[in-house]
Amino acid sequence: MLDEILKSIVEMEEEEAIKKAKEYLDGGGDPQKLLEVCRDAMGEVGARFEKGEYFLSELILGGEIFKQIMEFTLPKIKGESVKKIGKIVLGTVKEDVHNIGKDIFKVFAEASGFEVIDIGIDTPEEKFVEAVKEHKPDIVGMSCLITAGVTSMKKTVDKLKEAGLRDSVKIIIGGGRVDESVKEFTGADAWADDAAKGVRLCKQLIGVEG
Amino acid sequence: MKSPEELAKERLARIEAAVNLEEPDRVPFSGVGGDVIAAYAGITQEEFCFDYDKAKEAIVKFNRDFPCDWTFAAGFVGVGVPPFTYAFADDPDVSATVGMAMFGTIHDIIGDTCTRYPGREIERNCSPQFIGGKFMEPEEYDDLIEDPVKFIAETIIPRICRNMNTPRKAMAAMIRLGMEAEKIKNFAIEVGKELAQLGYPAIPITLGYTPLDLIGDGLRDELNLILDLRRYPDKVKKACEALVEPILKAGLALKPLGVKYAFIPLHLNEYLSPELYNEFYWPYLKEVILGFAKEGIKSFVFFEGRHDAHLETILELPKGWGIAYFEKTDVRKAKEILKGHTCVMGGVPISLIVGGTPEKIDAYVKELLDEVKPGGGYILATSVGIAPRETPVENIKALIEAVEKYGKY
Ligand code: B12
Repeated sequence: MLDEILKSIVEMEEEEAIKKAKEYLDGGGDPQKLLEVCRDAMGEVGARFEKGEYFLSELILGGEIFKQIMEFTLPKIKGESVKKIGKIVLGTVKEDVHNIGKDIFKVFAEASGFEVIDIGIDTPEEKFVEAVKEHKPDIVGMSCLITAGVTSMKKTVDKLKEAGLRDSVKIIIGGGRVDESVKEFTGADAWADDAAKGVRLCKQLIGVEG
Repeated sequence: MKSPEELAKERLARIEAAVNLEEPDRVPFSGVGGDVIAAYAGITQEEFCFDYDKAKEAIVKFNRDFPCDWTFAAGFVGVGVPPFTYAFADDPDVSATVGMAMFGTIHDIIGDTCTRYPGREIERNCSPQFIGGKFMEPEEYDDLIEDPVKFIAETIIPRICRNMNTPRKAMAAMIRLGMEAEKIKNFAIEVGKELAQLGYPAIPITLGYTPLDLIGDGLRDELNLILDLRRYPDKVKKACEALVEPILKAGLALKPLGVKYAFIPLHLNEYLSPELYNEFYWPYLKEVILGFAKEGIKSFVFFEGRHDAHLETILELPKGWGIAYFEKTDVRKAKEILKGHTCVMGGVPISLIVGGTPEKIDAYVKELLDEVKPGGGYILATSVGIAPRETPVENIKALIEAVEKYGKY
């Protein structure tokens, strides 16, 4: 059964996957195991994306299926502990309102065991600083889809420095407008313009095997 | 010193040679634009979007100080509302006047909720934003298919525009638009005149859209649409088919002004696997391109993001069909595949101009041109034309000089 669920997700069979996941839980299946299988499925979707076999359309649909299954699975796990491997504060930077990429990255990061605190879009530098103070994350993730956001990211990194918080976190930037030179310019620790790679790098940044 | 007329002729010849897949005297260069224009003139984004005189001065000043062959990117001052363009597809005179206007003043009049403007919804010095939204439910695909123009004009526009959501408000808004149209026309004419004095060729452009993008940007929102592709594939395809005609009609409304090119920015191309692209996107985009071609208008397609997976499909178009402007697709690779068939444009990452140094830019352009210049059919441009406020002007200068230095044939 779990194998079939995994296959349905990876093959993008939305209705099938959800139906089978429900059946599995209704039949007394272990929600923790279901969660793990869904994570594996998302890992596979991400891997196919990195290989160029899958495209954004599949990442989006995969994320959607995952979210829908989680809606009825997570409440069954709460109480028992869902082990988290690390915490990420994530937002789209100031002046930028694109959220699709950020949300996909979020789903993939959550699927691989990160706790993600999403602070939204068009996020002022100060809001990142406050979120870091409040949530004490391991990683700050910034999503940037427009060129104007590049300076916003630099300013955010500078503000974190000013607040004396820079060394307490790793910073990863993502989204269509980042590359090596943007990473250098902003002073981030890593960059990724695809979600699967981003998650891999996040694990590396905090020293977790990926 | 060349006269403006001579200069314009020379620049036009350069561009047309490249489009016709020949080698001009030098690689044509399309300059940057965007937020940096207002910043360079020392005005706010709000002034740039709402004050015709200040916007005109800023555009002229920028184009005087940062010359290029084709001032394509330096002409926009705002963002548009895609459904608005197509609401008047059956009324070409209206469509040609207000359908494609992208100004803050229009935003104020219609009160649309899918864009945000400086000094209105956002800070004075932020650039205007298109934020889109979901304005149509999946059950409504049938209405869209049956009569797209009616559906957009009568159902969608009232949902998008706060100032057009009752008949009375809509009438008032249309009259205000009519009064504003004259100012917009004058603005365009004035800018054209001044640019002509600076030796820029007049290259009137109209707008095209890919049907699937119109549904994504203007009606269903990208994310919902991606899910629709799996959930309601037949309806989506029928809707795309139905939208081809209004898209062509609205685009051709500007034909009497002598337009030579139809600019078609692509949005969802990067999202789609080749299967989905070939099923939902490309057939209808191709119809639009061929529809314009039949009227003697070449398409100027901006292939956003990475188009690598779909490059070969371009070869299905007739040779010399138009211009393929690439963002993140490696133009070296694109040129290799498309040489002798399609004029390729792009090549310089905008991030290099924002964050690089004049030396780095010089070295980059030299290397790039070594590879893509031979054989012609190439227009140099930044990956996107929008340069942010903080773009160092010495970098823009460095780019211009590098093209002059390494671009000669
Ligand atoms: C869809 C889209 C929109 C939608 C956004 C819908 C939404 N809710 O997000 C709408 C239509 C609203 C829109 C509006 C605008 N857009 Co837009 N848009 C796009 C488009 C077509 C796709 C973006 C996208 O979602 N990609 C898909 C996602 C999944 O990819 P991604 O973000 O790169 O994310 C992946 C990875 O990067 C990674 N990732 C993402 N975030 C993060 C974060 C971290 C930490 C990590 C590790 C990884 C990671 O994971 C994702 C999955 O692999 C792009 C073109 C393009 N191909 O990039 C233009 C584009 C981004 N838009 C652009 C522009 C200019 C605008 C507007 C400013 C237009 C305007 N003048 O109004 C406005 C934005 C206003 C603003 N200030 O933000 C430009 C930016 C140009 C530039 N260099 O500045 C682009 C590049 C188009 C272009 N070539 O001109 N847009």
